[in-house]
Amino acid sequence: MAQGSLNPPPQPRGFQVPSLLDIRVLGVLAQLVFVVGFILIAMWFVGNIFENLDKLGESQFICVDGTSSPRCAFDFLSSDAQFPIGESPIDYEPSDSYWRALAAGALNTIKVTVLGIFLATVLGTAVGIARLSPNWLVSQIAKWFVDLLRNTPLVLQLIFLYFSVLLALPKVTEALAIPGIPIFVSQRGVNYVSLAYMPSAATWAAFLILGLIQAQVLYVILGRLQEQTGHEYNRLAWAAVSFVAVAGLGWFMSSNTTNQAILVKNSLRLQEFGDFETVTLNRFGLNRLGEIDERLASGRLTQDEVDEKAISICALRDSSSIDNLVAQLGAAGIPYTVNRQSTRSRTTTAFAEGNCDVYAAPTAVLASERDVLENPATYTLVPVRETPVRFSIPRIDGFNFVGGGKMSTEFTAVLIGLVLNTGAYIAEIVRAGIQAVGKGQSEAARALGLSEGQRLRLVILPQALRVIIPPMTSQYLNLAKNSSLALAVAFPDFWQVANTTVNQSGRSIQIILIVMAYYLSISLLVSYLLNNYNRRIQLVER
Amino acid sequence: MEIIQRNARTLVPSRRKMHVNLREFFAEHVFASIWQTGWLVALTGLVAWYTFGQLRAAAATTAVVLIVWAVTVAMTAMAEAKKEHTPLTFWLKENMYNNITNIEVTLFLVLLILAAVRGFYQYAWVNATFETDRITSNEVSYQSTVPELLRSDGVDLSRLPAGVPFTRDVVRNPAGTVIQQKTYIKSADDPNVIAVEHREVHTGATWGSVIANLENLFIFRFKASDLIWRVYASVALVAVLALPSVFVYRDDRFRKSWTRRILSWLWLLTPVIIFFLLYGFGSTGVLRRVDPDQIWGGFLLTVIISIFGIVVSFPIGLLLALGRRSKIQGIPAWLTYPAAGLLTAYLLFTTTPANVAAARSSFEVVLAYWPLLIPLIAYLFQSTFNGNVVATFSTLYIEVVRGVPLITVLFMSIILFPIFLPSAWTFSKTLRVLAAFSLFSAAYLAENVRGGLQAISNGQYEAADSLGLSTFNKYRLIILPQALRAVIPAIVGQFIGLFKDTSLVYLVGLFDFLMVANTISSQPDWLAIRTEPYILLMFVYFIGSSIMAGYSRRLEKQLGVGER
Repeated sequence: MAQGSLNPPPQPRGFQVPSLLDIRVLGVLAQLVFVVGFILIAMWFVGNIFENLDKLGESQFICVDGTSSPRCAFDFLSSDAQFPIGESPIDYEPSDSYWRALAAGALNTIKVTVLGIFLATVLGTAVGIARLSPNWLVSQIAKWFVDLLRNTPLVLQLIFLYFSVLLALPKVTEALAIPGIPIFVSQRGVNYVSLAYMPSAATWAAFLILGLIQAQVLYVILGRLQEQTGHEYNRLAWAAVSFVAVAGLGWFMSSNTTNQAILVKNSLRLQEFGDFETVTLNRFGLNRLGEIDERLASGRLTQDEVDEKAISICALRDSSSIDNLVAQLGAAGIPYTVNRQSTRSRTTTAFAEGNCDVYAAPTAVLASERDVLENPATYTLVPVRETPVRFSIPRIDGFNFVGGGKMSTEFTAVLIGLVLNTGAYIAEIVRAGIQAVGKGQSEAARALGLSEGQRLRLVILPQALRVIIPPMTSQYLNLAKNSSLALAVAFPDFWQVANTTVNQSGRSIQIILIVMAYYLSISLLVSYLLNNYNRRIQLVER
Repeated sequence: MEIIQRNARTLVPSRRKMHVNLREFFAEHVFASIWQTGWLVALTGLVAWYTFGQLRAAAATTAVVLIVWAVTVAMTAMAEAKKEHTPLTFWLKENMYNNITNIEVTLFLVLLILAAVRGFYQYAWVNATFETDRITSNEVSYQSTVPELLRSDGVDLSRLPAGVPFTRDVVRNPAGTVIQQKTYIKSADDPNVIAVEHREVHTGATWGSVIANLENLFIFRFKASDLIWRVYASVALVAVLALPSVFVYRDDRFRKSWTRRILSWLWLLTPVIIFFLLYGFGSTGVLRRVDPDQIWGGFLLTVIISIFGIVVSFPIGLLLALGRRSKIQGIPAWLTYPAAGLLTAYLLFTTTPANVAAARSSFEVVLAYWPLLIPLIAYLFQSTFNGNVVATFSTLYIEVVRGVPLITVLFMSIILFPIFLPSAWTFSKTLRVLAAFSLFSAAYLAENVRGGLQAISNGQYEAADSLGLSTFNKYRLIILPQALRAVIPAIVGQFIGLFKDTSLVYLVGLFDFLMVANTISSQPDWLAIRTEPYILLMFVYFIGSSIMAGYSRRLEKQLGVGER
């Protein structure tokens, strides 16, 4: 006890009441003051907002029933947007809501961002490796490429690309193309060959998935057999052959004659697909289809005369039926012209008015449209063979391309601009990453007799990735954010649409909130995905 | 000595016999695998195709290139076979002719570069005009009185055969190419009618668009006002300071001297002086305030924004960086959680029932329970930041600003500043954009400075503490000098980024360098001319950024970042 009286018993820390002058207490008090001050300033802002908005009128918070309440701040999103959007992955009309307009813009942004990230990575890696090429010229060109793009503003690059390069390209009718490759580059953008999916493509896709599964199963089973018996199988070849077999079977199973059809007048005497040849030959008064081309070449027939006598087809614009029919006619060498209409009813009217010989559409559509026509009995429904997937090749029709895929000039400008600029930054990252791998690694790889390609692929890049991934993440984020500069070339990305919405509706605060939420969530998503990937890479390495 | 010489001679014989086994060479370098052969065949095909194309397009230069290439390749190959390289062949072997692929690629690239240079030379010089008054359209006029023409132009048109164009009054550019011409054609029907066509004929650049707009591009409307002297004064101020700086900062004698200190303070003050010189005070007099939206523009505005941005963002960024790293005692959990609980309960009982009653959809019913988020926020605040308000605020600010594009921040400044502030406070657009730039840049600067702070070892902090320095002095004397030195290159890099990003202000309607370049294309004289101004801009931005990047690299070396 005597000891205890000399040393006062230690008080539990939690019960110690610190003096008000303790630096820590002062710190906490200061922070509380900061919080209160922050809240007061925020409230002052909010007060100003309401005061200023009141001056602008009650329209900011107008509800459907005409009353005004902050609850209805976002109600305007469901009213009509009333502005057009140049291009959109989803169907969009000016009569659609602001919601849909913003969604179209967001999808455009995602499209350009995802494609841009992929292409910029490819380009950046290539240039980064070229920067370290043993050929002095190659490395100098790569250096100048990187310097030029990194030392000029991106927005200047974008508008230069748009106004001075892409809009200076030839007109549509004189589009640039490498002979034999159906990719056309013109003022209006890039038109390229694409795949047209018929309704039966879904069936074929199911077969493809089935094929993949069974090939995988076969691969595993053969592997087990190999382990058990010691007999060596060419597993990959077996799996590939069986996959091709299933895919081929699926192709024939899903190619059917009931999906697609054409509607023709009985007077045309076209009972089946094979009759196209007879009808054409009768019209031209020839014996062989080949003679048409011969006469065209020798000048005895002009293209106009051929177009006049050729089978004319009415079809809905961008329908897969027309791609299906045209591909078969083209293969058979039968000349044709296409009359494309923008809506189903217009197509039917055009056909009913006798503008064309044949109406191409899916069978079900034709069956119902035939009943709309005046004398249904005077028309025959002729089945057309359908294959699940066909190439859709762009063709000039009037002053524009029809068929195939299309990238608009604005999209092309934004995509190329972002890819070049981000690619330049990525090139430097890749170069630094490769240089960060010890020289000994390269020498060891060479000593093992690996080729230059193998050295890069198997030894250098896997180790460089560890250094490359973190800065790459911020480049990807930059690309996502820089896509907002699409405004400069009027590409309807999310920010451009949001900006138009602000101008149109006057709801600046709401739109700004949506925009911030959108970009912040993209940033979070990309950094989350890449941080995960980064963690995996780091684990594998150690 | 003699022995050494003899040995040296045997080691490095003056003439070594060539021994080349072509079969071995091909087996190793061409026919080693099907891929190698295929690649070489394809590459050779491409290079040969391109070379023939170039031979047709520009015979003389291509032939010279081909000969030089063939000779150097042969020289290098001979030297390699003899194992006796001159410096030139050694360099060629190492850098251009390492293998067959590189030999061909070198030829291809040289021809490609030549074609590009030739194309640009043709565009920018041979076929270019430098006239500042332009014939905008093909002016065709019909004159019916031949004698008048005779008098005015001094041409005897009466002898001109009908229907044959007669060209004169040709204007050539410095390269000697015809860029303007007047053509007379006598009508075949009536010998008294003569068509005179005055037109511009050239396929290259129209540099006149840039030359006529140089003042616009660089100082915009300052040139038109009587205030132009302010720009000159600003430039002069910088020049006056720069001149002694060359000596004072180079020479070690001035280290710690008053001269250097005074000069440094003057440099720090310069941006402020220049800003007020360009902005002005009061409403009258030579120093009267100008409306920046009207007067500031062109390259001048670009420079103002980037310098103002970096200067103003520096203190803010510094504070944010220190704030984000601060480890001060936060608001304790026993205070946070009860407060959050009370607030939640209060809001749940006061606002939620009314909101639920007024809800128009089930989504709004869910929204009405938003106070339940407060405990979650309180938990995150405690678990992530230990209740540290300063760190929370700094981190949130930095991450939010870095997460959104600059262009959205600029639009916000244009649209939201007037809404957030009392309507009596009005700022010009330019000042709002300047504020937005500074606030945006501060977030990025904070991250740079934080990087520097992280590079300081704990020992430095502990040493400062053990010396009994106050927190303020610890940072002022020990931590910040080291941290900032480490991040100076990064800050210069950020300044370059800012310099380039200023071009975005044209999207919110300020007349910066890029906007002025854009307006040229709508001037009646230079309709639709965009490429030439853009090329000038590219050049200016490129030179500016490259100089700063080079300076940053030199600084990095001088400061020995990563060595100390």
